[in-house]
Amino acid sequence: MKLSKFLILIALISTYTGFSQTNKKDSTAVFILNKMSAVINDLESVTFNLSHSEDVLDADNNIVKKYSTSELSLSGPDKLLIKSQTEDGNLGFWYDGEFITFYNYDENNYVTLEAPETTIEMIDDMHEDFNFQFPAADFFYPAFTQDFMEQFDTIKFLGRKIIDGETCYHIMANNATLNVQLFISSKTYLLPKHFVIIYKNKSNIQYQSTFSNWSLNPIIPNAAFDFLPPPTANLISILKKS
Amino acid sequence: MTTYNYNIKHKLGILFVFIALVFPTEIIAQRMGHGVSRGGGGHSMSRPTASRSTASRSRPTTTRQTTRPTTNRTPSRSISGGQSKNHNFSNNRSTSKIKSKTSNNNIGNRGGNKVGNKTHIGNNNVNINVNNSRHTNINNRNTRVRTSPVRYTRPPYRYGGHRYYCHRPYYYHPYRPFYWGPMWHPWGFFVRTLATTAIIISIENQKYHYDSGVYYVSSDGGYTVVQAPVGATIKVLPEGSQTVQVNETTNNYYYGGAYYEKDGSEYKVVAPTAGTIVPSLPEGGEEVKIGDETYVQFGDTYYSPVQVDGKNMYEVVQVEEDK
Repeated sequence: MKLSKFLILIALISTYTGFSQTNKKDSTAVFILNKMSAVINDLESVTFNLSHSEDVLDADNNIVKKYSTSELSLSGPDKLLIKSQTEDGNLGFWYDGEFITFYNYDENNYVTLEAPETTIEMIDDMHEDFNFQFPAADFFYPAFTQDFMEQFDTIKFLGRKIIDGETCYHIMANNATLNVQLFISSKTYLLPKHFVIIYKNKSNIQYQSTFSNWSLNPIIPNAAFDFLPPPTANLISILKKS
Repeated sequence: MTTYNYNIKHKLGILFVFIALVFPTEIIAQRMGHGVSRGGGGHSMSRPTASRSTASRSRPTTTRQTTRPTTNRTPSRSISGGQSKNHNFSNNRSTSKIKSKTSNNNIGNRGGNKVGNKTHIGNNNVNINVNNSRHTNINNRNTRVRTSPVRYTRPPYRYGGHRYYCHRPYYYHPYRPFYWGPMWHPWGFFVRTLATTAIIISIENQKYHYDSGVYYVSSDGGYTVVQAPVGATIKVLPEGSQTVQVNETTNNYYYGGAYYEKDGSEYKVVAPTAGTIVPSLPEGGEEVKIGDETYVQFGDTYYSPVQVDGKNMYEVVQVEEDK
């Protein structure tokens, strides 16, 4: 008798607290984010392409669009390969679990550094120390949904939208400085298709990225993540951010 | 009867709890709202943390993942049957030198940055007579850049809390040290004897020997080439000196990486002035990746590769701390 009353009380508290949170953090949006994150976290290897557009402010505070594309390969917890074509040049990252190499194809020089043992730690360290940018890295953090929910004050599900002929779930998140909109494919696997980041306190400049050519759990040889410098390439030094 | 009522209430209670639990999104919203289930810990692409697995009732896949460590998967896929080759390759790999901006800002740090590590740069131009272990500390006083007298119209390049000002846009070309002829020697070059034309110049209690645009200090029974000391004066510019423009009314004279300013009838060694364009750089610098750009560094002086009238040149960068 006492047991059943206790269970009813717990259930009431749970449901009440649950409903009270749904106003700002849409439960459908959270469910979709969780599913997407679970699919990504369950991958053993993956390759995909990214197409970016980024707004930058010029000297006169005019917004200038910059476009770039990237091909990414991840394998296990400690292998990453990125090749990017940007307006500033063609760049490559090789991470094999021990070292990371940044190679500039146009300048034919490279930086090789000892790196942490996992891709996520490496991304954190390289960004912190050298400002390296890793496109779409956010999605590969195991705590993506939790981090997302902690960072944003409101998260809303805005319905289904068509992106490149693909039906996607549209989710919008806001906080004081950012408006982030995610378009997550509603295909068999919930994978990100497109996202937009709007910087509210920087003239509403935007960063957009579109995913394509997802290949889930492909076999990628480990050698693909080893960097072999071209014979004429120069190993150069690097300045730490601070 | 009492037992029957008890059973009914008990079943209703369990049913209510079950109904509450079958709406996982509500539970998630509650959980997330309290922030009690942050993943943390195991930062790997395919191995979520145990805390996340146990906390998430709506994601049964996470429990499964913990039993499938991906680190053991890749070796078994190797058609060569192992990874020893890759492992050895990695361990022998040369790594880049990591530089810190703060260490370069110590003005007058005589034991500052060593230059001329030839494992990193200019492999085609290594001079076998240069012993870089002998002396090659850069005196930062000689490489501390003087502020540009010309206002910058281009926005600075920002990285790591510093602004890097240049009058001309960044245009990369590889650093190839220049040699100013047979009489000129790079920093670190060692000779047993000096020509009879060498003169002695004293700056801050340090005795230098000067000959044909090259400055030496006594060491190990001979003489080692050092950077031109700021404040030294010479009567005649070395042959091959070039005029470089500091601003519309001021020129410097440039030879072997040293800057001279006319001082009456003499020429005085001065530190480089930001914005000055020079056609070439001597041995002793090193290419440093600073964010998205690659500069050549000599002590506290950074040179940005630029192009002027189709020719590859370098501009002295003005570095300022963000405030």
